[in-house]
Parts: sequence; C-alpha cells; structure tokens
Amino acid sequence: MNALRKHIHPGWLIIAPLLVMVMALYLGPILNILWLSVTDPEPGFGNYAKLGESDALIRILWTTVRICIITTVFSVTLGYSIAYAMMHCHQRQKNYMLTLLLVSFWISILVRTFSWLMLLGRRGLVNVALEDIGLIAEPIAFMRNELGVLIGMIHYMIPYAVLPLLVSMQAIDQRVMDASRNLGASGSQTFLRIYLPLTKPGLVASTLLVFILSLGFYVTPAVLGGGKVLMVAEYISVQLLVTLQWGTAAMLAALMLFGVLAMLWIMSRFMKLSTVFGGAAR
Amino acid sequence: MQDKQFMKEMLTDSAQAYKQGRMDRRTFLALCGASGVALTAVMAGDAEAAADHVVMWNWGGQSEECHGSAIGDAFTASTGKGLRFDTSGPLEGKIKEMVESGNVTADVADADLFNAVSLGPTGHLEPIDYSVVSKDKTLPGYALEYGVSVILYGYAFVYDTEAYGDNPPQNWADFFDTAKFPGMRSLYKWANGSLEAALMADGVAGDALYPLDMDRALAKIKSIKDDSLYWGSGSEAHSMCVNGEVSLGMVWQNRGRNIENDTDGRYKLVNNQALAMPGAYIVPKGNPAGAAAMQFIATAQELPAQLALLDCLGMTPSNPAAFGQIPEDQQPYAITSAMNIDKIVYNDPTWWGENGGDAVNAFLDAIS
Repeated sequence: MNALRKHIHPGWLIIAPLLVMVMALYLGPILNILWLSVTDPEPGFGNYAKLGESDALIRILWTTVRICIITTVFSVTLGYSIAYAMMHCHQRQKNYMLTLLLVSFWISILVRTFSWLMLLGRRGLVNVALEDIGLIAEPIAFMRNELGVLIGMIHYMIPYAVLPLLVSMQAIDQRVMDASRNLGASGSQTFLRIYLPLTKPGLVASTLLVFILSLGFYVTPAVLGGGKVLMVAEYISVQLLVTLQWGTAAMLAALMLFGVLAMLWIMSRFMKLSTVFGGAAR
Repeated sequence: MQDKQFMKEMLTDSAQAYKQGRMDRRTFLALCGASGVALTAVMAGDAEAAADHVVMWNWGGQSEECHGSAIGDAFTASTGKGLRFDTSGPLEGKIKEMVESGNVTADVADADLFNAVSLGPTGHLEPIDYSVVSKDKTLPGYALEYGVSVILYGYAFVYDTEAYGDNPPQNWADFFDTAKFPGMRSLYKWANGSLEAALMADGVAGDALYPLDMDRALAKIKSIKDDSLYWGSGSEAHSMCVNGEVSLGMVWQNRGRNIENDTDGRYKLVNNQALAMPGAYIVPKGNPAGAAAMQFIATAQELPAQLALLDCLGMTPSNPAAFGQIPEDQQPYAITSAMNIDKIVYNDPTWWGENGGDAVNAFLDAIS
C-alpha cells in the first residue's frame, strides 16, 4: 500500500469515481462509434472511402462547414459589439442586458426557431406589414432557405459568443487604455492595437465555442431550411433512424470529432489554448 | 454480482406475485425501487410489462388517446390485459437499436409495412402468428411474414382554392405543372410518396410504378425544386398549408380533413391518384408480453376498431369488410371508401423494404 502511495497521489482516489464514470459513460460510447465506423456493414475503411466516391457526402459536409463559418463570423462580430456595449454602459444597464442574455438561454430552441417563421415567414409579420404598406409586391423569401437557417443559427449563437468575450473584457485593466490615450494614440488606434489584441483569448474562445456548437445544429436547419439545407447532424440522424446505414453515420460522426480535434490542435500551434479556457498566459 | 442475481430473482418473483394479485402495485413498485438503481430502472419496466400489459409503441399526439379508445378498450375487455404507450415513435433505427441492446420494452410498433420487409429477415422482428391474426382482414399482399397492415394512410395533396378556384389541379401531373399552376408546393422529405407522385406526373401508370425508375423520378423532382419545400413531419406539412407557405401541398390523407377545417375550407383535399401506404403493426423480437401482442393486433383488425381508428385518427381501414361501412361524412377523406377506392394506387412494401435506404439517400441528395 505504501509502495503504491509513493507513485499515486491519494488525491487520485477521491476523483477516481468521476474518472471511472467519464471513462464508462463518455469514452466507451465514443470508442463504440469509432468501432462501428470501421465494422458496419463490413470490416475495413469502406465507409471512409465513400467520402471519395460520393459527391453527396462532400456537398453535405461543405454546406455544414460553410454555414458554420458564416454563423461564427456574424455571431462573434455581433457578440463582440454586445459584450463591448455591456462593458461600457452603466452597471444598471449592464445588469438588464445580462438578464436578457441569460433569459434567452432558457428559451427552447424549438420555440426560438418557430418564432422566426412567424416573424419572417411568407405570411409572417414582416412580409405582411411590408406588403400592406406597399413596399413589396411579393413576399421576401427570408425563411425555408439558407438565409433562414443562418438567421436562426446566428440568433441562437449570439449569447454563446457574448459570454466568453465578456469574461475576457472584464479581465482587462482599463488603465492600459488610459495610458495609450495619454501617450497620444487615437481612439481607434487604442482599440485596434491595445484592446483588440488583449481580447484575443476571448475571441478565440467564442469562435471555437460557436463553431463547434454550430456543427451539431439539427432542429434549425431542418425547420428553417425547408428541406433544402441538409447539414451533417440531420444526415447522421437519417442514416441512423431511417436508412439504417449506421456505418456511414458513425463515419461522419467520427469525422466531425476528428475535425474538431484537428482544429484545436492547429489553434494550439499558434497560441496557448489554456489562456482561452481561463488559464494564465505564461 | 451475487446481489444482482438475488435482486433479479426477487423482482421476478414479486412480478409474478403482482400479476397473480398476491401483491399490490405499491408494494411491487416499492420493492423495485428498494432493490437498486440502474438495474431496477430497467427491470421494473420489464417486469411490469410482463405482468399484465401490452406496450404499444406509437407516435404520440392524438394517437395515444385514439389507440386506447379504438383498440385498447376492446383488447382489455377480451383479454383482461391493459394497454400502455411508448410515444417516442418506432423509427426503423430505434427498433433495431432496441432489439440489439437486448432491452426490448415494446410489444407492438405502429410502423410501416416496409419496415417488416427490411427488419424481419435480419432477425429484429417476431413473425406474425396467422393462427391468431387474420390474413383476410387486410388487403391482399399486405399480410407479410413479419408484419400486417392494420390501417392505410395515403399520400394525397391539398390545393389552395383561392389560387386555383376555377380550374383546380386534379392529379399529380397538375401538381408538378408549375406553368399551369404557379406557386410553391411541398413534398415529403424522406422520398416516400414523393417518388411515386413524380413518376405518375411523368406519365407512369399507377399499377406499373414498381420497381421505381429512380433517375426518372428524381429528374421530375428536380424540375420543380425551385418551387418546392420539403416537410419531415405531419405537423410541418399541416403548418405549411395553414400558414399559406404553399399553394399545393402533398399531405398524409388523414391530415386532409384537419387542414380543410383549419383553413375554413380554403384548402381542399384531392385523393385522386393517392398512394395508399400500408401502416403495419410489427412486433420487436423478444417483446415482453409475448403472444399477447398477436391478440392485440387481431383486435385492431376487427371492424369496430377499424372504424374507430378512422373516426378518431382519420386512418383508413385496411380490412375490406370495413370499406362498405365507412360513414357518409368520411367518404371523401378515407382512401378506400367507395368514392375513392377506384382512383388510388398501392405502395409496394417489398420494393421499399429492399431499396428504401438508397432511395432516401438519393432523394436527399437531389433536393439539398
């Protein structure tokens, strides 16, 4: 027992149950998925080879990545302005804004998705109003296409973009900006050369968070895309539940997993990832 | 491990005691609760289902109430067994997963007949016991080894009378004719029915559809892609019409009446060339209630159940004896009524069971 203690810190015993649970409930199923992707319907890399053969799969992946990139760019940009505004208004207003932001987390994604249909649908509030005042003759197709999917996804993702940015902005010492102005930099110079670089960890964190969460979007594209915007999550679900091609589904899931891991690895080449997740920049 | 064995035996014993009335429900459930955590959550479900219930796996919504009143009450009266529901929707993948996991909790799944063709031979379904279930109480060709059609639903369409009031669309050719009938239309997202409609629109006779000519069907689907939306659930199809997003909407025929009512008659159902889909009851392999599932299916085939399902859910009877008894006010909506039966075409579950997966993927590729 003593020999064991020399090598293993007793603290590990305390967190062992957690570790075992994570292994069993998280790693186990993931390994199962990886296993499925090389064994169903027959052993080998047939499922991965499909990527080279099928234009359809490549197109679905490209649609997914394209939509996620656009969503990320808009969510993080808008999120940055919101976080910036929250940092620079009165405490009272900041509290209001924070409350509204958190409330939006509590509203189901289905409700938020269908609300867009009521607002921007063919006979939604906006189209009917514009038609009534004579601005347009035909309803504008906001929904049931890629634009609709983007509107729905960006709207859903903005709060996720704001929070990491807010945390990172709060950590900035305001006197640095004063010093910059004091030394003669203009407002925009101070922002671009001092403020923006200091919020980079927050920017990276919110970009990663939004992009990775967007990859898994299912409900919003299915409803707002009118069936024409097929993203990978919905395709995986169809392969699992309808066409029973579990191997293809597992392959796509594995691909998404590796894609995300590769992205994190590339990021880690350029910066210390621990600063993104709240660690100290050393 | 010894403990687990003991608990399992204790629970099995108490389930039997509960079944025979020697133990009340509360004690039984308390025992289930007291004897463990993860193990019993599963065991309690099993034991209770085995005790005195048949669990029907359906799609929720109104069907819970309707299956209870249309089939459940008569089933309980004749067998003394109750009816419970799992409303999570028995999609093919879920049935496969349930059977392969070894934890089968449902007895009868409200599925499609083509599911019986694809899941039966792979060992995921119990064969239908035709000494209990009747082959004569469904349409010929719709009583298969692993599933029997209990109701029919149809792929039909509704149109906007304000848009095409004077010269309404009458068949699938009109539905696909965007020059003559401009406006958005909606089709089913998972290929079924949409492919058949496209072929009929392209001039294929209703009785010569199978095997489906995929290339021809997809070309026709693509030709109206810019004017099409695609729905994935009955409620979505419904809301696309009610919200005025489409002027022509492919719908499940049993939704037609609700759409007419909800739009105050602005949208009208056309059952000409409707594709009759055999909705089937199938039994997952190793179902907890065993043979009682077959008695349940037999009850659903009887005339009162058939007519009650039509009244409550709008599902068309598949028992030929019921066709003549479809009430006057349901005649336009039921696809096997005297008014419609000569105009409809029939789905081939064998083709779909064998080729459905590839067809769905090819369709998704064409529309996305």
